[in-house]
Order: sequence, then structure tokens, then C-alpha cells
Amino acid sequence: MKRAIGLMLALLSCPHSAGAQDEVELFGYFEPSVMGVRIQGSTRQLYTNKLRVDLKSALSDNITFAANFDYITYHGTTEWNILDFLSSDLTSNVPQYLRTVYTLPFADRSFLDNAYLKLAFDRFDLTVGKQQISLGTGYVWNPLDLFNIKDPLDPTYEQPGHNAVRLDGSLGSRYGYSVLFSADDSWKNSAKMLRFKGRISRFDYSLVAAETVWRFHDYTRFDPSWLDFVELPEQRRLVGASTAGELFGLGTWVEYGYNKMETSKDYYELVAGADYTFDFLTYFMVEYYRNTLGKTGRDLYDLNDWMRQYTAEQKAISRDQLYMYISHPLTDFIDLGTSCILSLSDNSLALVPMLNYSFAQNMDILAYLNFNIGAEGSAYAETTGSGGLLRARVYF
Amino acid sequence: MRTLACTGLLLSLLYSIVSGEELSGEAIIQKVNDNLNVETAWSKSTMTIVTSSGKKRTFLSESWSKDRGEKNLVRYLEPRRVKDQAILMLNNADDIWAFFPRTQRVRKLATHAKKQKMQGSDFSYEDMGSGDAFINDYIARRLDDEEKEGFDCYKLELTRAPDSDVSYSRMILWVIKENYVPVVIDYYEEDDPSRLLKRLVSSDIRVIGNIPTAMKFVMHNMNDNTQTEMELLEVKYNIPLDDELFSERSLKK
Repeated sequence: MKRAIGLMLALLSCPHSAGAQDEVELFGYFEPSVMGVRIQGSTRQLYTNKLRVDLKSALSDNITFAANFDYITYHGTTEWNILDFLSSDLTSNVPQYLRTVYTLPFADRSFLDNAYLKLAFDRFDLTVGKQQISLGTGYVWNPLDLFNIKDPLDPTYEQPGHNAVRLDGSLGSRYGYSVLFSADDSWKNSAKMLRFKGRISRFDYSLVAAETVWRFHDYTRFDPSWLDFVELPEQRRLVGASTAGELFGLGTWVEYGYNKMETSKDYYELVAGADYTFDFLTYFMVEYYRNTLGKTGRDLYDLNDWMRQYTAEQKAISRDQLYMYISHPLTDFIDLGTSCILSLSDNSLALVPMLNYSFAQNMDILAYLNFNIGAEGSAYAETTGSGGLLRARVYF
Repeated sequence: MRTLACTGLLLSLLYSIVSGEELSGEAIIQKVNDNLNVETAWSKSTMTIVTSSGKKRTFLSESWSKDRGEKNLVRYLEPRRVKDQAILMLNNADDIWAFFPRTQRVRKLATHAKKQKMQGSDFSYEDMGSGDAFINDYIARRLDDEEKEGFDCYKLELTRAPDSDVSYSRMILWVIKENYVPVVIDYYEEDDPSRLLKRLVSSDIRVIGNIPTAMKFVMHNMNDNTQTEMELLEVKYNIPLDDELFSERSLKK
């Protein structure tokens, strides 16, 4: 961490010539937020302060360096035990002495989120270092994204950087390709990805093949030597495709990924979505998601399913889900909307009314509430609590 | 004798052009379109949104266009909140991609998104990047000439073509006779041709590279009682622009 801060300071203090290309741009944001949850008659609050400092420098016409450093502090309830949110049927078998290991701690942290060098050539770009990787056309779920899992309550929030070497090239005006390598402890365990992109009529499409090591955990077995749950690493090979375009006036997208697993059962994920803006500027979106790793009913969910969802090892606990979102600009600066995440497998839903307010030229406010409506043990059970989030962001 | 006849024909043609007596609605809108859609263009501009309560937001952006407005790229420079956000519009804004730098995500938008406000302004994506829409999506009819904003103008009515999906049912344009700059455009609602939705007023007309160019625009939104001011700070025409600039790779730069 100290090295990261040192690197940032060193970069900032480097002497620069007067040439515009040598200038280092310094920008970022400060983001205070409060999240509250009402569960089992008590209220818990988590306050977060996040400072993100970005720097970007065009070293020449073809070389760009960019990095960002995040410092986050947490206050209030900084330890959340996942067992508190689950039904007693699932948690009663957990020995008392192990209950604390199911705690998700929110400890203050600072880290170098992204730091990369981008070299631009005539026909391709080469990006080396820690960088954001966004794959797929889905809005909430991305079967083709091996690197990130979005929060369905806040799907457009930025994702963390990943160490990778990436090459993005074009083959004429309609076609392109990407090659990506993200190093792990061995070549076998490293992520490798090939993507071909093209356009047919009004549709963009991509074909993806990827391989990585996937680290499921067995959350019913604790390994005292590692002070962690037992890890079950295995090879994951993904082939898939995505498309986005327009059909009958609707924006439409489809994303599919088939995962061939080394030891566990193969599974596939499918996303299909559509959106439309009405003449009165109300925007509507619907996205269906199927994940055969998910279960078909709430009676089938076990402790591992819940933990894998909470720790982002799998995107959803239930097999079939539907996301709906509607928003309308109340004024030029205020958007009012509601999203609804429906588990079709267990008939539970989360209702999320939200407000986006451009409070000032460089300040946004986001507020949302989250009401879970479902039977105990379902994906969005009332017993898992309802809550909300208030977040401001000031850019500098 | 032949030379004399040619000279006479030329003079008569010149007179009809200067006087505008013989120009049809189609001919006038073609000239307007030619002025607005130069082979290539680059500009830097500010866009200021003014709400009914007087609150303001100002954006600074850079934009490039090619193939007479068929390809457009807009990249925001300020404020920090939207810095490096970019929008690529191809095929006269029938294909739109938006790039969000915070998530490094490129999202393909369908044509319905053209109705959406650009950064909450009174300009829609369609207003900004519709290229040859005046010619291809509307049928022009010349009305009686009028004086508008102090200029002697042709008055045109543009009615949406039957097979078009543009967002306005019709438009009324006042085109300055001297330079074919539309000094005022009235936009009427998609479903109600009698209801005025927005009015664009252009001013500060300068000649840049032999092309008459309005440097300031104000879009008044009659529904919301808001307005958006746009000012071109710098403009260059007919500069070399590579096709690669109008690609997804370029969006991310």
C-alpha cells in the first residue's frame, strides 16, 4: 500500500515540460454514503467515505498512462454476519465456534485500483497493467464476463481493475477482435480470452472463447490452516456470444455463455433484454436471466448457494430471474425510477424505487430504497431485511 | 450569338437564385442541408442548460463529423462528472453507441434513444446527429416569405415523410435568403402537428472556410419552460479525418 502511495506521489511530483502531452491530469471524486438495513426488528447502518484520485497522462500521441487510487473508510456496523440474513433451517447446523467465520468485515482500505499503460497503434491498442474489463451486452448480468459480477441493486457502479495484458484491434470498419491475458500463479490458472466482434445490419455481435481457473469454496467446511473455507479450484472454459441491436423499434440484446467445468457440472447462462423510450421520455427496460447453476426453488437453496451469491462466486441463487426498470426525467436534473428484480424460481421480488439528482455541476446524489417481498428462504425474502442507500458524489 | 444566349441564361439563372423567386421548398432545404453538412468538420462547443428556476449546467465538448454529417463523434471535456463520456453516431444517428469511462463500458443504443435528452439538455440525440434528415425524412413546402430575427427569410414547412420514424411531426424553418442559414426552427410534437414543442434560434453568423456558420444556438423547450444555449467556440471544416476515428476503439480514447 505504501508503495502504491509512493508511486502516485512520485508520478505527481515528476518534473514535466510545458508540452501539453506531458501534463498529468489529476481528477477523481469523493463519495460519502450511508446504507441502512432493517432486519429482525433492528436497524443497522454502514457509513462509507470513498476518495478516488485519478491521474492520466498522454506521454505522446500514442502512449497514455492512467491510474487511480482509492481510499475507503467504513463506520457504523462494520461487521455483517451473513448467517443473520438466512433462515434458521440453514444456519442451525453451523457449529457455534464457526459462526464468526461467516462475517463479512468492512475494514478501511486503500489500494491501487487501476494502473495501466495504453499503446495505440494504427490497427490495434495494447493495454498493459491493472485495468477495468467490461464484457457482454447485458445490463445487470453478463454471462461473458469472467471478471466482474454486478450488484443488481446498483448495476452501473464501476467495477474493480484486473491485472491483464489486452490487445484490441480492428479489421476494417465493421469487425474487431480482442485478446486478453490475465496472469495468475501459473499459465494454466491464468485467464485467457479471445473475442471477435462484428456488425450485421443494425446488430453488433461478438463471439467469445475464454479459459480461467474458477475458485468455488465449500462454505460448510473450514480449513484452519488457511483460516478460510475450503477452496475448490477448477478449470472453467467458456464459449459464448452476445448481440445488441434493434428489433421492431425496441433496443434488444442477448448474451449467452456455456461453461465447461473441469470437475463440477457444466452450466450455461443466458440474458435477453429489451428497452424503449416513450415519446414522453419515460424509459423502460426488461432483462431476463437464466443461470443453470442456480436452483429451481427455495427449498433447494443450501448454505453454499447463499454464500456463493453473497461472495460473488455466482451471479444469482435462483435459476430464472427478471429485472425490470422504469425511469422518467422529472426535471432536467432529476430522474425518478423503480427497478424490480423478480426471482421466477421462487416467486420473490425486490422492489427498488430510486432517485438520481444532479445537485450541482459536479455533484450527483443517488437514493434508493430496497423492499424485499418473498417467503422465508426465498431469494428476496422479507426476513433478509429491507433497507436503502443514500450516496453523494462530488467530482473534482 | 450562342455566347449571348448562354450569358442571358446564366443571368436569368443568377437572378432567380438571388431573388429566390423560383426556388422550390426542396431546393431551399437542399441548400440548407449542404451548408449544415460539410464533408468533414471539427468543433469545440459549450452547452449550457438553464432550468425554469434559473439553475445552470455547462458542458464543454469536442465533436467531429464526416461524410456530410453521416458520421458523428462527440466527446465531453467538462465538467469532471462527464469527462471523457463519448457518443458515436453512424448512419445519420440510426446507430448510436455511448461510452461511459467510469465503467469502461460501450453500450449500443437503439433508435428510440434518439428521443432522449443529451445530458439533460433540450437537445436530443436526434437534434445533434441526424445528418441528412431534412432531406430524407421530411417533405419540404415553401410558405410565404417572412422577416425573422431581423433577416429576410424563406419560410418552409417540413412535414414528416410517411415512412420516416423521426421524432417531430413537422418543422417550420425560417431560412435567411442571403446565406441559407436557418435562423429559427420550430419543432412540433410527434403526435400533434399543431403543438409547438421546441424552438431553435441561431445567431452570430460568421463565414468560416466559405461556409456561413451560426456560432450560437438557443433551444427553447415550450413544454418544460427551459432552454439550452450552445456556442461554437472553434470550428474547422474540410479537414482530413480518418474513418478509424468513428469506431468503438476511438470512443474509448
